[in-house]
Amino acid sequence: QGTQVKDVIIKPDAPSSLLLDKHADYIAAYGSKKDDYEYTLSEYLRMSGIYWGLTVMDLMSQLPRMNRAEIIDFIKACQHECGGISASIGHDPHLLYTLSAVQILSLYDNMDAINIDKVVDPFHTLFGIAGLSLLGDEQIKPVNPVLCMPEDVLQRVSLQPDLLS
Amino acid sequence: MHGRVKIKSTAQQEEEKRKEREKKLKIYVAARDACFSKRKDGVWDDEALQLTQQLLSSNPDFATLWNYRREILMHLETVKDEDEVQKIYEAELFFLESCLKVNPKSYGSWHHRGWVSARLPRPDWARELSLCDRCLSLDDRNFHCWDYRRMVVKMSGVPVDKELEFTDRLIGSNFSNYSSWHYRSTLLPLLHPESPEPPSPSREPPQSSPPPSPQTHSHRVCEEQLLKEYELVQNAFFTDPNDQSAWFYYRWLLGRAEREEMISCVYVSRDEERVAVAFSRPVNAQSVGLLLVLDGQPQRVEWRSVHPRFKHSPVWICDLPPGTISDITNEHNLTVHWTEKPTHRDCALYTGRNESWCRDSATDQELFRSELSVEKTSVLQSELQSCNQLQELEPLNKWCLLTIILLMRALDPLGYEKETLAHFQTLKEVDSMRSAYYSDLCSKFMIENTILKMEYAEVRVFSISDKNLTTLCHLDQLLLVTHINLSSNQLQRLPPQFAMLQCLEVLEADNNSIESLEGVYHLPKLEEILLRNNKISTLADLQPLASCPKLKRLDLRGNPITQTSSIESQLAELLPSVTELLL
Repeated sequence: QGTQVKDVIIKPDAPSSLLLDKHADYIAAYGSKKDDYEYTLSEYLRMSGIYWGLTVMDLMSQLPRMNRAEIIDFIKACQHECGGISASIGHDPHLLYTLSAVQILSLYDNMDAINIDKVVDPFHTLFGIAGLSLLGDEQIKPVNPVLCMPEDVLQRVSLQPDLLS
Repeated sequence: MHGRVKIKSTAQQEEEKRKEREKKLKIYVAARDACFSKRKDGVWDDEALQLTQQLLSSNPDFATLWNYRREILMHLETVKDEDEVQKIYEAELFFLESCLKVNPKSYGSWHHRGWVSARLPRPDWARELSLCDRCLSLDDRNFHCWDYRRMVVKMSGVPVDKELEFTDRLIGSNFSNYSSWHYRSTLLPLLHPESPEPPSPSREPPQSSPPPSPQTHSHRVCEEQLLKEYELVQNAFFTDPNDQSAWFYYRWLLGRAEREEMISCVYVSRDEERVAVAFSRPVNAQSVGLLLVLDGQPQRVEWRSVHPRFKHSPVWICDLPPGTISDITNEHNLTVHWTEKPTHRDCALYTGRNESWCRDSATDQELFRSELSVEKTSVLQSELQSCNQLQELEPLNKWCLLTIILLMRALDPLGYEKETLAHFQTLKEVDSMRSAYYSDLCSKFMIENTILKMEYAEVRVFSISDKNLTTLCHLDQLLLVTHINLSSNQLQRLPPQFAMLQCLEVLEADNNSIESLEGVYHLPKLEEILLRNNKISTLADLQPLASCPKLKRLDLRGNPITQTSSIESQLAELLPSVTELLL
């Protein structure tokens, strides 16, 4: 048997250029589909979903199309007493979504929107190192919020997030 | 899962679908809001259980609801008797099975099942194992299921040999099975340990004493069993040489020895009144309790790593108070203690000598624990023979080539150097997408060989030019080196780790692609740097050199920076100690 190879043959008439505008339009419109079934069901990961969408828009230099104020208010509403942040309003705080929230605020350069002192506690895990770096911890290497990797590693492998536009 | 399938249909069908989804959504939202509102009010009733069940059956990844459900169940534990609790949790397990059918990879469902199984008054571990069997038969790499199975095995005390038989069955039916091989690698050392007094093979499950865990037990397997395993895994990769999992298991079998932890070298210099200590692995001087004793007196010194970047480093330095060892007519005895271990190393600084060091000889140190070093030479040779046979049948198989290289390095790194280079060349051709990885790995092995040659020759000159080096490593082994020649390679940087070359006097690195000199930092004896034909382009690139107080000669010919206007005066300002500058 061996490891499954899942190659796909790309037909000769397939598009040869990345349809960036269509991608950007899709993501810009995605958040407004509040009456969509799948959208509602995926509420349990909303904070991460927002982060994924924002990252891609940033790479396409289209971040301004997203509603910064609304998103930041949303994050504020998701921080709990314990300092952790939930995926959406009313959900329980969780490390995954706390990290996503920190990544979003880093993209928007608005870390003060949340109570930083309180949020640091969930980060005593390796997974939280990226978050700590984005929060400005001096003992930890700078982390790129888009790729969520240390900047010096990105430099060493010559991987800067190229703007797609 | 959150994706949607596109199905083409007529406008009417679309409309019908839309109405249906709208209805579905309304029901879902109503249930969700009801759950949230009940939880807010602190309600833990039957209706709450039903609502959460309804939502979780179609959306088992909704983690918050599992949290709520657990709150309700824990409350019920306090008000119901044991039989009722048993029934409730059995129903819970039944419910969870249906959730797992919807999404067998839902973190929430598996976690909840583990939680329930641990709290069930009378658990049925046999049933849990059979659930795992069924799940794994559908997807033998579902790690959620493997983790759960490990928990069940631990809680229920399933004997290790039974689990080993389980992996026999899985591997027998399909060799390509990372998870099974991996699991096997954790079971074997428990059942057939290498230790001189193996626990007597017992038929009863472990009773009073807890079963040895992989954490407390050695990872090695006794020889008799190992030979059987070699046969098993050879069958696997001869049958399908392209399957990775068997090769990785094979490498694990052949074994990687743990390097003994110790202070590998102590170096002391009168000129700088400095002590440098090299460890066998990166440490944090503060946390290992590093203590310097000079002539019987503990010294109050500040330990620092070679570069501010490193909190963990194999090399640490400290400065002695001025005048302590500067008089060359005095003899001194130093001891460096690694109090945490505890271990120590002595070093005597004799009269008339400017510097001194202490380290084990090359043969004692076993500098480079090869990837496959534990096995006896005879075993390794026989394995090399088998792999060579396979290589003749499958000359383009990269796994085979790579394994042959590792075996050769374990047997005789210097003796097989030519063959190793030839095999790497072949590897880069057959697996060109990973040629950078092979270049780096080959660089590492060539550096190891050069260090070995240097050790055997007992000189402090490290010369490795024109060897297609793409990266540097093992720099902690070069603490005593005074001259280094890296010219005519493909290096792009001298990384911060380069600062471990504390004794360096001459650095030759012509004809590379060096842009960064971060590691040429506070090298107290460095006098000459040759960087002809590299990629130094800005003054900032040369900033680290300013920290080298004895730097006299600098060759920058053939670098982009020479095109900068007024570069000479800028360099005179940055590096005032340099008297001979070549541009």
